[in-house]
This record gives sequence, C-alpha cells and structure tokens, in this order.
Amino acid sequence: MTREDKEKGLWRSIFPINFKTYNTYHSEGHTGQYYMLPPAHIQKLFPYGLPPRFQLQIKTFNEGCVMVRPPALELISYLKRADYSKPPLRYVLYGDIGTGKTMSLCHALHYCYTQGWLIVHIPDAHLWVKNCKELLPSSSRPSRFDQPIQASQWLKNFKITNERFLSKVQLDRYVWTKRESTEKGQPLGELIDQGVNRMKSSSDVVGAVLRELRLQAGGATEGEGAFKLAVAVDGVNALWGKTSLKKEDRTMCEPEELTLIHNLRKMMKNNWSGGAILTALSQTGSVFKPRSAYLPNELLGEEGFDSMEPFVPVSVSNYNEKEFESCYLYYLDRNWLQHPHSRSEEGKKELIFLCNKNPSILERLCAAL
Amino acid sequence: MAAYISHPALSSLCKINCNINGIYSLISFSRRISISSVLSTSAVTTESEAAGRGVRGQRRSKRQAGEPRTERMTVDQDWTAVYPTAASFKPSTVPLPVRMGYPVKRGVPPAKKGNLELIKIPNFLHLTPVAIKKHCEALKQFCTEWPSALDSDEKCMKHFPIQVQSKEFVSAGLSLQNPDARIVTLKVKLSSLNLDDHARKKMIKLGEERYCKDTDTLTITTDSCPLRQQNYDYAMYLLTVLYHESWKTEAWEQEKTRADMEEYEWEDSPSQKNVLDTLLRMRPLGAKDEVEELLGQPAVQEYRDTMLRLKNEGETEENLHKYKEAVKKLFNI
Repeated sequence: MTREDKEKGLWRSIFPINFKTYNTYHSEGHTGQYYMLPPAHIQKLFPYGLPPRFQLQIKTFNEGCVMVRPPALELISYLKRADYSKPPLRYVLYGDIGTGKTMSLCHALHYCYTQGWLIVHIPDAHLWVKNCKELLPSSSRPSRFDQPIQASQWLKNFKITNERFLSKVQLDRYVWTKRESTEKGQPLGELIDQGVNRMKSSSDVVGAVLRELRLQAGGATEGEGAFKLAVAVDGVNALWGKTSLKKEDRTMCEPEELTLIHNLRKMMKNNWSGGAILTALSQTGSVFKPRSAYLPNELLGEEGFDSMEPFVPVSVSNYNEKEFESCYLYYLDRNWLQHPHSRSEEGKKELIFLCNKNPSILERLCAAL
Repeated sequence: MAAYISHPALSSLCKINCNINGIYSLISFSRRISISSVLSTSAVTTESEAAGRGVRGQRRSKRQAGEPRTERMTVDQDWTAVYPTAASFKPSTVPLPVRMGYPVKRGVPPAKKGNLELIKIPNFLHLTPVAIKKHCEALKQFCTEWPSALDSDEKCMKHFPIQVQSKEFVSAGLSLQNPDARIVTLKVKLSSLNLDDHARKKMIKLGEERYCKDTDTLTITTDSCPLRQQNYDYAMYLLTVLYHESWKTEAWEQEKTRADMEEYEWEDSPSQKNVLDTLLRMRPLGAKDEVEELLGQPAVQEYRDTMLRLKNEGETEENLHKYKEAVKKLFNI
C-alpha cells in the first residue's frame, strides 16, 4: 500500500511485513521511507528496548514505523556481508544527542531477529550503574556486588525475546548453592526460570547464560543447535565509566565490582565467534560526562576504547532534507500536527529552524502542536 | 637737580634692582639714600613710591612682562633650540594651548599660564623625534657597521639562536631607576640546539610550562637577582644546566610508564595486542603466520597510522572516518 503525496511528489510508503522485505526494500534508494514493524515483533523483541517516547508514539499511532536511514542501512549491509566463522565485529553507533542512535540500533536488531538470530539486548546499560535500590554482596565472589532486581528483570525480557531457543541450548553444570545446581544437558529455559525465581543468584545466572551463549554461538555443527548471536548494548559507555552507586562503607563502587557489568564486559570481547556486537553510545544517561561529549573516545574513555577496538564506528547525524520531509509528511498523514499553521510552507520552515532537523527535538515539538 | 645728577648710577641701580627678586636689602638701601632726589623727577619712580612705602614693601619697580616668546615663534622653527635639555614646563616658551587641572565650579581646566600642575609633572619636550634623530646622528660616529653577512632574519637566527630581551625604562621623575628593568627573558628554539630524541623529550619535561609546543621555543625568565647583568648570567646558567642534564640518563628513567609518554606509540600498546589477537583468531586453523608478517601487512600499517593520528591529534570526525576505513580494510568488509 502506498500513499502518494501529489503536491510534493515524494513517496511515503508503508510496506507490509514480509521476511523477504529486508532484501527488496532496504537498499540505498529507500532512505527516508518508513518501514512498519509488525506489532507481534515489537511485543516480543522490544519489551523494553525502544526509546520511551517512541513507545508512546506506537501507542498513539497504533503502529510502529521506523524511518529507513543510512546508519541503519550501513549496519544491516555489514551484517549481511560479514563472515560468521570469524570473531564478531564490533559496531559502535555514535552521534550527537537525539540523532537516532537507539532507533538505528533497534532497527538493525530487528533485522537480526527476522533472520532468526538469538538476541541479547541490553536496552540501557546506564540503568545498571545508577539508581539501584538493592546492592547485595555477591554470593559466589566476595569482592563483587549483585543487582538482583535488574538481573531478574533482564532475564524475564530475555525469555520473552528468545522463546524459540530456550529449549534448544544445552548447558554445562553449574552449582549455585550447596543444595541447588544445574545439571549438564539441561535446557536454557530451566536456567532462566531458576534465575527469575531465585533472586539472590540471578546476577550469577545472567553470567552463566552469557557464558553459555558465547561458547555455543555459531556452533560447530550445522542444523540443530547452531545459531548466530547478536549482542546489542545501548549506552555501552556505561561499562567503563563511573557508577553512582555506593558501597556500604560509603565509597564509590567501580563498574568492575558489579557482577552484571563484569560479565557484560567479557561479552564485549571478541574471543568468541559466530555473531555480531552492535553497540550505541549514549550521553543522555551517562554518569559524570559533559553534555557536549559524543565522540567514541570521549565517552568510552581510555579503558573502554582499548577494550572495544578494533571496532567500526558508524556515525549517526541529524535528518537531511529528504528525511525531514519524510518525517514531516508522516506526521501530517497521521494527523499529528493539529496546528493549522504547521501545514503551511512557513510553518515548515519554522519547524526546521527550531529543531535544526534533530529527530528527537522535532518529535517533541510536533507533540506540542 | 644736582642731587639727581650726582646719583645717576644709583638711580639706574635702583631700577635694575627693582626687577630682580630677592635683592631686597640693596633696594631698601638705595631707596634711603636717593629717595628724595629721584622721586621728584622720574615717572617710573613715582609709581614705586606709591607701591612700596614701608620697610616690608614688595619689589620696587614691577616691570611689565614683555610679550611671551611664543608670539615670536615661527612654525618651522628649530624646537631643539627651545628645549635642548630636560627642563620644566615654561608656559611662555611652549606655544601649545594646554589646559590642566580640576575645573572649579563647572568651568574649564585652568590655562597654562602660572599653572603649577603643568610644572610639577615630568615632560618630554626635549625628546621630540627631531631631537632624537640629532642624537642618533651625533652617536653614529661611535658606532660600527651592521655586519653585511647578516642580512636576513633566518641568517640571524641561524648564527645567533638565543634571543635575550630586557626592558629599559625612561623616567623623568624623582628617581631614574625602575625595578622592572632587571627582568631578563631568554628565548631559544630547541631545534637549534644539539639534542637527540631522549634529550629533547627530557628537556621539554624539565622545562614544563616554559616550553611552547607551537613555536618550539623555550623561554626562561629570570628576575630573582637585583641587577640585569646578574639575571642574564643566571639565565645562561639555567640554559647550560638544562642542556647538560637532558643529555644525561638517570637510572630511574628506566621506569617510564605509558602514562608518562608524550606521544602515543602503537608498538606494545593494547591496541596492537587487540589487533594481533583478532587477526590470529581470524586466520584459518593450521596456517602459521609470523607476528612480524602479520604486522607488516599494509592493512595493519594503515590501521596503525590511523590509530596514531586519532590518539596524537585528538578525535575528530575526519579521523574517525579514516579509522573506519582502516578497520573495514582490515576485516575485509
């Protein structure tokens, strides 16, 4: 179904979802056009993954439409061409605030999902380094700290996203306490259930899950049990920055001392094979970073940069003319712009001036109109 | 009449003495002697009789001041003749309508005639450009020629790389000296000194904020001694000491860590290790590649160049873009 805007002569199309659409409809010529994410996928894949304002927009418009933009296209093309017998490539999306890094990340992740990969998605790593209500000393290692609430929540989301894989992945033996242990050969689903039920050891369960996936991704045998792993972390600079958490003796907690962060850092290394690591930097939630910092070196810091490289940096910038037009027409089409002046040429120029074609600012402006 | 004739010298003496301040006793003396005879005849002396009667009287004959010299000055006169040396401000010799002072009762600043403020301040009327030119001309006979071989700045810098600067202060006040005249600044370009790599880095570290990276200049400023000569000697001494110390290598310099390094070096860095690890993991099993071979690949060299640029020059969009290209080539995307 396509709707033409006869005055402007620009296309704004909504495509029905089809697994083949990624190949046919996601080429260079389709930048600026809107791609509809099927509701079933959104529910499964992104229980908490999408930016909060976009979730509101989905509710309002009753559909989730993502604009096809060059950064996402670039990522998808890399993913298509990469060789999965080699160590995973790390992609870092960077850009100024509000330019669409998280959206591009989600878009690329959706592509992975449609290709049948196993998704490990951490929607915002910053949530794990600040505002944690409970910080328990780790059950397995004395010097580390657990975050049971965050860990169990993540496990729940993981379960929803990757239901198909839960019975397929087989595990090693893990001992949790004197009485509980997971035997060798049990499926992943059981491990996750245990982690959700037993909050105390949930962070360790997360660690175990990640380790298993790492070892088994891109597995040696084809067919049953072989899967590709997509690790997507938003706000990856939280892993190497500072935390705002305090230990019991009122000293600051280092990210290294948190079990979740420690395990995630291990995941970021490229000593496994059969997948890809997609990350996005984020200044918005970061702790103790200046607002103007957006380049990888500034946000990741020395340590982070050394750990992440060699990576492929992908730049995300504000809308260009065509994309802005497309977004504007989409809002018009959805009757989102109620103010009569916004439909005129002058109103459009005002909008351009006010938001400087920054996606998030444009969205907030239009919400008020 | 006879009395008048008999005292012509005295009367003229009296007239002259009237114009000179301070010669009071002579006037009074001459007055006592000849007052009776002179009074009746001369018109000038009639005036003084009315003016100064008593013993405490003022100048006897207050002569009219003639027209000031400024009236007779031409525009193209020789000013060096008017003020050849440092002198106080004389309103009758300076032909400028200068006003100075506090305007009383919303008026204007007082005029120059009889203006004490103008006399109090130091003036440089004796140092006009013409006067200075004359001084230079006079001094030329004592000077030697500028060496003809040093006709360009580069040659001067090449043969005389050390530049010493100090300030002279001209003061026409109470004291001729200015304490700031003792400060000596010594500037030298490190490229003109004979330093090897280690010595250069050490010198820059020793110099701390005295070294300017953009112009490659080491600036030593000394003001701790009271005399300029002493400060100059001290600055030269400092330079010598810095030079010799930077050539020496101490035992504890072996402990220099990566954090101390001035520039980012790719060899032995975590970046190099990461790349090596990745490449080793990427190569097909069974193929044994030497580390040097791996590092010598052009893609790796390009990666190394971009990393050096990123770390040393700072991060910009352009540098990042080049880094991206290098990484893509490395992994054959």
